[in-house]
Amino acid sequence: MAFEIKVLKVDLASSKTEVEVLGEDIVRNWIGGRGVAAYLMLRAKASKADPLGPENPLIFAAGPLSGTSAPTGGRYNVVTKSPTTGFIAFANSGGHFGAALKHAGWDVIYIEGKAEKPVYLLVQDDKVEIKDASHLWGKVVSETEATLRQEIGNDKAKIASIGPAGENLVKIAAIMNDGHRAAGRGGVGAVMGSKNLKAIAVIGSKGAPQPADREKFMQVVRDKVNILRNDPVAGGGLPKYGTAVLVNIINENGLYPHKNFQTGVYDKAPEQSGEALEAKYLVKNQPCFACPIGCGRVSKLPVMEKESEGPEYESIWTFGSNMGINDLASIVTANHLCDEYGLDTISTGSTLAAAMELYENGLIKDEEFEPGPPFRFGNTEVLHYYIDKIAKREGFGDKLAEGSYRLAESYGRPEFSMSVKKLELPAYDPRVAQGLGLHYATCNRGGDHVKGYMISPEILGYPKKMDPLDIGEEKVAMTKLIQEATALVDAAGLCIFSSFGLWGDDYRDLLNAFFGWDLPTEEYIKIGERIWNAERIFNLEAGLKAEDDILPSRLINDPMPEGPHKGQTSKVKEMLPVYYKLRGWNPDGTVPEDKKQQLGL
Amino acid sequence: MPRVKLFATLVEIANKREVVIEDAKTAREVLDKLKGLYGPSFEKELEHGMIFLVNGRDITHLQGLDTPVGKDDVISLFPPIGGG
Repeated sequence: MAFEIKVLKVDLASSKTEVEVLGEDIVRNWIGGRGVAAYLMLRAKASKADPLGPENPLIFAAGPLSGTSAPTGGRYNVVTKSPTTGFIAFANSGGHFGAALKHAGWDVIYIEGKAEKPVYLLVQDDKVEIKDASHLWGKVVSETEATLRQEIGNDKAKIASIGPAGENLVKIAAIMNDGHRAAGRGGVGAVMGSKNLKAIAVIGSKGAPQPADREKFMQVVRDKVNILRNDPVAGGGLPKYGTAVLVNIINENGLYPHKNFQTGVYDKAPEQSGEALEAKYLVKNQPCFACPIGCGRVSKLPVMEKESEGPEYESIWTFGSNMGINDLASIVTANHLCDEYGLDTISTGSTLAAAMELYENGLIKDEEFEPGPPFRFGNTEVLHYYIDKIAKREGFGDKLAEGSYRLAESYGRPEFSMSVKKLELPAYDPRVAQGLGLHYATCNRGGDHVKGYMISPEILGYPKKMDPLDIGEEKVAMTKLIQEATALVDAAGLCIFSSFGLWGDDYRDLLNAFFGWDLPTEEYIKIGERIWNAERIFNLEAGLKAEDDILPSRLINDPMPEGPHKGQTSKVKEMLPVYYKLRGWNPDGTVPEDKKQQLGL
Repeated sequence: MPRVKLFATLVEIANKREVVIEDAKTAREVLDKLKGLYGPSFEKELEHGMIFLVNGRDITHLQGLDTPVGKDDVISLFPPIGGG
């Protein structure tokens, strides 16, 4: 049985669509999802594209296991050149959109060009239409989805769309699907907006993708589901408290960033923890497609008689501790607003936190934002007032819409942006988790945590406990391995949270059973390595230099001022040469020819 | 008399967030006393692992269950958890 990758190519400039089928050799080298998208980005020579120009491809890529019964097989990736970083963006989302894409018979939707006026794409199995979306322009995500479902006459349609933020080319805009799931990072929503593409609606009726040997595949799926159900995290704490179960443990370890990373402890953290969220606002769990974990939250929105979803750990932190805000009701509301406007929560909160530090240092003046509320740490009004302004690029919101780096740079103080490659850092201070700091510095999409989640070994003990302060070669090797394993999971169409229970051999078993292959785990990890290197090569072609693999100076030069790890700084500069060497790269961070040949690049 | 902060499901089992343990000199002794206080359900919650911090440092990277604890130490105890 030959496996192929079916690509729906849509040129919005000419309104033409065509089908491209990529053969089994591509599947063997890239699996699909984030992997095949990296291949397509290199093939298109998109590294030279203007991220908001018509020549930048916007790729929606599900994996071979998306839409199957494989545990957590509900993911898809959005890959493009990021307007935030100028490098590759690969954002990943759950919910049901990715599965619907597969059930309609597609692995990839590849968008090119720019429509003359707002449009949406309607995919009903093989029938593909580009339709007018003028009446949807300006609508928030929930209104967009509701209007489209009514128009299409199918309330089961799965929709990925942008809110006003993406339309207004806000550099921290997300693509939203199923209401509250976000392909969040790297400004992918702005790329969709630049193409005048408001939404993609998918109705799939072809059923799940067929594995090589259905019986064998189902047996492996049952085994892996059992592992996850019996795991104390995947089958226990994660579904019970959601991702926000991390708030307390990260704070107790002294790496819960507070006030734009000025320190790593927040005395009010327990009041914004997963435990507090569960007690006050949780309505029920909301699992993504084929997920036995079900960490998603349906939450009661304070004051309003409405329900929303989330907030996740990262969103609680970014609107909470990072802005010096303790009020969980405001955090839940801010998270909902970002979902509706289509904003990446991490970058939105961190940009506001940077504005707060700029203001408190006298750099942003009152007259610049009046009558808006002042950017004082702890001022919850900032959340409610400026999220709307950012999405609409109104008033001072226009400056904030550029993200923290461009904001801080415009005041001559880029060091107040806690970002790597201009993408805002997530919710862990790398002075206290050295491996995560190395990942922050080297991740191909910029300041990211989830594509090389070193918090797993350094704090949580998955797949084994490693001292967070250690900077030895074993730590560097684990960082590299987790980056590669995550690339594989993203390519397969699974969720990285499955790694709270599953590990390399389990992913091998699932993929081998699906494809009818007999590859060893090392070969699969090598595919992850190929994907990582392809993204690196894209970035180098886009102008990346070794000096871009660096953390904000505060984290390297200013010792952690308090807490259990007082005095620690990031040792990323010592780890980087070892990392480059283990990767087989040149000392300047470039990829040598022999490495490219070894990986078939 | 080390102070022990409990988190996640351990709070529900112990029905308190914090407890002071008398006469414990090591992490092991603290754990044994907690198990004695809160019974089999507490023990079961930790059977697949735990995160035991003494002043914010995981005992895995100190001396494991032999890590000494003193009267001024703060212990943070979690069942296995994850997220991200």
